[in-house]
Amino acid sequence: MRAGNFFVTYGITEGERIVNRPFMTSDESLMLEFQRGSREAFEELFARYRGPLHGFFRRRLDSAARAEDLAQETFLAVIRGTSRYEPRALVRTYLYGIALKLLASERRKQAKDPQLSQPEAAPGDTSDAALWVRQGLEKLDSSEREILMLREYEQLSYSEIAGLLRIPVNTVRSRLFRSRMALKNYLDPANTLPRRGGAA
Amino acid sequence: MSKSNHLIEPEELMAYLDGELSHDHVATSATHLEHCRECQAIAADLQSVSRQMMAWEVEPSERGTMEGLSAALEKRKREPSERSWWRWATAQRTRPRMFGLAGAGVCVVTLFMVWTLELQPRAQLRRMLQADQRSSYLVAPPKRSSTDQMIVRTAQLSLTTTDFDRVRDRINEILKRHQGYIGELNISSPAGVARTLEGTLRMPADQLEGATAELKSLGRVDSESQNGEEVTAQYVDVEARLTNARNTERRLTDLLRQRTGKLADVLAVEKEIDQVRGSIERMEAEKKNLGNRVDFATVTVRVTEDYRAQMQVVPASLVTRFQNAAVEGYRSTVEGIVSVLLVMLSYGPGLVVWGALLFFPARAAWRRLRRPVP
Repeated sequence: MRAGNFFVTYGITEGERIVNRPFMTSDESLMLEFQRGSREAFEELFARYRGPLHGFFRRRLDSAARAEDLAQETFLAVIRGTSRYEPRALVRTYLYGIALKLLASERRKQAKDPQLSQPEAAPGDTSDAALWVRQGLEKLDSSEREILMLREYEQLSYSEIAGLLRIPVNTVRSRLFRSRMALKNYLDPANTLPRRGGAA
Repeated sequence: MSKSNHLIEPEELMAYLDGELSHDHVATSATHLEHCRECQAIAADLQSVSRQMMAWEVEPSERGTMEGLSAALEKRKREPSERSWWRWATAQRTRPRMFGLAGAGVCVVTLFMVWTLELQPRAQLRRMLQADQRSSYLVAPPKRSSTDQMIVRTAQLSLTTTDFDRVRDRINEILKRHQGYIGELNISSPAGVARTLEGTLRMPADQLEGATAELKSLGRVDSESQNGEEVTAQYVDVEARLTNARNTERRLTDLLRQRTGKLADVLAVEKEIDQVRGSIERMEAEKKNLGNRVDFATVTVRVTEDYRAQMQVVPASLVTRFQNAAVEGYRSTVEGIVSVLLVMLSYGPGLVVWGALLFFPARAAWRRLRRPVP
């Protein structure tokens, strides 16, 4: 089980990641301080998660403005729900849980009114590599894509992903493996190794 | 998935690389990975995917400051103490307690209203009536006279006759002579056995002896009995109770006319009057019935034919028996189908309505539980 500010990555870049700084107040402590009325604690949480939440929405929505709005609404929901917050899960999981619900609501609205989903600009990097990744992700099954993105971009653990999506941990593991292999086949088909055992 | 050549599965390898493998398998996986080229290739693939995914970077957020959130923060700062009790009341942990308190409150209010509107006026009315009864307002019950005995007379007669065909007409003639009437009459004529006539005859009590003597002449007397039940005390008691009830009704009516009180009191008095009137009617019916029983004696007569069995017994034909069996079978089938339809009609609509009401919420809840959030 990983703490709120330690994780293992595969050589990532900074920018929207929480930097591993020793002796840092945990997210849960900040949340409790905010519950007691500390504005500074909330500002610290805001500073930590502004980027990751924006990235979460930006990668999943075509509209940059809506991504900004929804990131803002996530923090507003935190403020409104402060009294109901109970430290049963990590703050990170709590925040992404709110974000997932807002995302689902936004997608339902877009499904009813397609004009809302008009892309304003390509989300993020327009390099070839980024485009390939985006296209590869779009070819995945929606649940597998979400699991992969929560793992790779939001750096959530298997159990956190399972809790957010309400699926078993083993399902997370198998779908994550399947999605990584599928994306690998798409991104680098020439070097695709024949699967050992044939995990479905 | 075969484990013949490898200690770990590809998914386990991925979990190891993600730091998600259980502690007791980490050492094994690490050791295996050091020596297995195939697993090393898979690990390289997984790491390659992660690196390539990191190529997709998004632009930073344009809203770097907490604009739009400051107002919400200020609002929360101002209102927490005002709404803390509401937050406490609606918190998930306290909801069951709140529902329990609300239910208890409703029960208390309901009991209070019942006590105020119903029980208290009745108690007052009861006290008023008891006070009235202690006064000399009631009429004392009449004394019984020893000469006014009231006796209900009955007789039972069982006869056997050889001339069964004329029994009914002869009974009618006897009753006509003694100013009587038939209360009930049943004649039974099954095949192969003696016919019987059972009847309840009523006649004036002073005609009982004469009528009974003539009825005995219908055939051979098998058994005879007579009874006299004295109901004088019962009759006098009913009369006394009736008189008291009438006086109570009169008193209540005066109370209603003279006293002005709350509407609840007036309604209580009217209700009491209704009950007293009901009692009066019942007692009048009882008195009338007693009087009727005393005035008219009852003779229960049973006349049996002196039957001679037939030598030749004609059984039902085979065709008739088959026909009867077929009809019985058809009838039982129809009864069964009707029973099933009745059950469906009794419970079907309710099941359909409840099923329709609960189906969509249940389906939505099931989908919500099972479907992962995209």
